[in-house]
Amino acid sequence: MRLFSGQRAFVLQRLSALVVLAYLAAAALRVAFGAPVTLAQWQAWAAQPLGAALLLLAAAALIAHAWVGVRDIVLDYVHLFALRLGVLAAAVAGFALLAAWTGFIVLSHAL
Amino acid sequence: MRSRRPVFLNFARIRFPVGALASIGHRISGVVLVIALPLAALLLDRSLQAGAEPLVMPGWIRVPAALFAWAAAHHLFAGIRHLATDVGIGASLPAARRSAYAALVGAAAVGLAALIA
Repeated sequence: MRLFSGQRAFVLQRLSALVVLAYLAAAALRVAFGAPVTLAQWQAWAAQPLGAALLLLAAAALIAHAWVGVRDIVLDYVHLFALRLGVLAAAVAGFALLAAWTGFIVLSHAL
Repeated sequence: MRSRRPVFLNFARIRFPVGALASIGHRISGVVLVIALPLAALLLDRSLQAGAEPLVMPGWIRVPAALFAWAAAHHLFAGIRHLATDVGIGASLPAARRSAYAALVGAAAVGLAALIA
């Protein structure tokens, strides 16, 4: 099972980092040069298809990045095979749950 | 045959040059940020609720908030440093040590600012 491991994980980690970096830069520019965002504006933006899609992309990039990082740390420090398998499985389950929950949050507001 | 090189994981004996500090800080801050992810989802959910009101937080929230601010800043600064090093920018030892100092000091400044501001 080479999915999300080896070079693929390395590339995913870099790509997701760049995506998050782009979001941070856009948010910083918006805060620095735009008018303050009201709660109503934020909610209206998140309800639009484009806003919802951008939120989902941000969540996907963050969760993918977090998964590779947690995976690297577990592989480095947890050497007992059974324990490593258990911790990795728990991490997968946790991130899957988080992804489903975030998707539900965004989509239930947008649809 | 056992290797004769010193193999140990005694944190009191491992020397931590500045680059190693920036690197281990990147890991530790990453763990902090992973722990904060469910809270971020919770806040996103609340902010999208109809009739959402500003949260009233207890005073001690400043301490974990400052920890989060440090973690976010350190992970950002050290992460940009790693990405730059990936493409060969600042990869020489003196430059890498300078940028490691900058990431450590900058992130500490952000954390302190969040604590006292």
